[in-house]
Amino acid sequence: MRRAAFRTLALCAGILLLPACVTSTVDQEVYNEPTEGIGEDSVVILGRRHASDYETEPDFVTCVGDYIASGDRSITVIDELEFLNAVYPWFEPRTAPLHPADIERLLKQKPVAAKMAALRVEYMIWLDGSTERTGGSGSMACSLGGCFGFGTWGHDANYEATIWDFTDQAEVGQVNTSATGQSYMPAVIVPIPIIAPVQGTACDGIGQQLLEFLSSKY
Amino acid sequence: MTSVDRHFSVHLLAALLLTGLLVGCGPAHVVVEGNFPPPLIEPLPMTLGVWYGDDFAKHEFFDEAASGKESSLFVSTGAAQVQMWDTLLAGMFTRVVHLQARPTAGQSIPNVDAVLLPHIEELQYAIPAHTNVNVYEIWMRYRFELLDAQSNPVAQWTMTSYGKTPTALLQGAEAAVNLAAVMALRDAGANFSTNFTAVPALANWLRDNNALTAADTP
Repeated sequence: MRRAAFRTLALCAGILLLPACVTSTVDQEVYNEPTEGIGEDSVVILGRRHASDYETEPDFVTCVGDYIASGDRSITVIDELEFLNAVYPWFEPRTAPLHPADIERLLKQKPVAAKMAALRVEYMIWLDGSTERTGGSGSMACSLGGCFGFGTWGHDANYEATIWDFTDQAEVGQVNTSATGQSYMPAVIVPIPIIAPVQGTACDGIGQQLLEFLSSKY
Repeated sequence: MTSVDRHFSVHLLAALLLTGLLVGCGPAHVVVEGNFPPPLIEPLPMTLGVWYGDDFAKHEFFDEAASGKESSLFVSTGAAQVQMWDTLLAGMFTRVVHLQARPTAGQSIPNVDAVLLPHIEELQYAIPAHTNVNVYEIWMRYRFELLDAQSNPVAQWTMTSYGKTPTALLQGAEAAVNLAAVMALRDAGANFSTNFTAVPALANWLRDNNALTAADTP
């Protein structure tokens, strides 16, 4: 009896730990990779937020930054909100530079130039994209006795990272990633979500390519 | 327990349940809260008087639900408006003085170079239920009056601001509306501070009053 209960529990735990499948692709185009890493300088990762129908998620930006910082602890990644507050109002959706040539105009503001020098920003990475739900099907009915049914839905992630060399005021690389996955939720008394880590896979894909660009260890 | 007591208890329980239901069906109430950074700009060399009317400092917005399927929305932005504009103006001008009353026509205001009277003309919002897009949006339209030290009108102009935030799994509608309002306030600050000297009537007046050199004019 106890063994059967344990097996059921182990099966449920196994299902919970089992992620749904995700497929992803990464394309990279790099022009001027730093040969010895970025040294004492820092990198800032920012989300593009000027599109009307989507917004690059702040948690995706944080995820990519954490991936790079944990992959090479010598790289200083400035937190996005900390940077946006430090240089307000010059990197808001309305005012943020859209092209590397706009950096020169920005640096004509003496306080901005001084702040950038203090932060030692060498690379600015713009992330543009989002993760969208692509539909779902199935049905589930819940009552006091529990839930019964089956549901499934998909997610589609598309992101592009554009790397700017802040000192040279030039674009030095682009990384594109896309990931798709299907999540499932069977329910027999208790709903068991089997979530496809679509955004996480996209984060790992783009983070690894950026890490290889920025770090001398890779 | 007597039958009267029992009756009273039943009535009290029913009243509490009804109150709970009514509260549950009430409008979503959002008191906008956020942190607003000071602007990273060179302050204009002038003392600005500012007066916030009740339409501004106690600004509220209420949208009644058009049908039973929707929820009414009450948004209070006044305190956040004052917080943001106080921080912004203190960074934009060498000195800011808060006036206790609205200047009357021809009244001389001592120790100030100009007086700013901000007004909120309009606030609109959109939620995913309205647009089928996974973002919460807020638009605001401001009207500004700038008076000279003798309370004579110098310029009057309008300005819009916009903020949006994506939906998030663990973020309620109130938190999303709050974040969209904070983004709209940040955008208002960015728009005002980067375009203040470009308002035609203002640029001439600022130059005539030595607050702006020809090189500063955008």
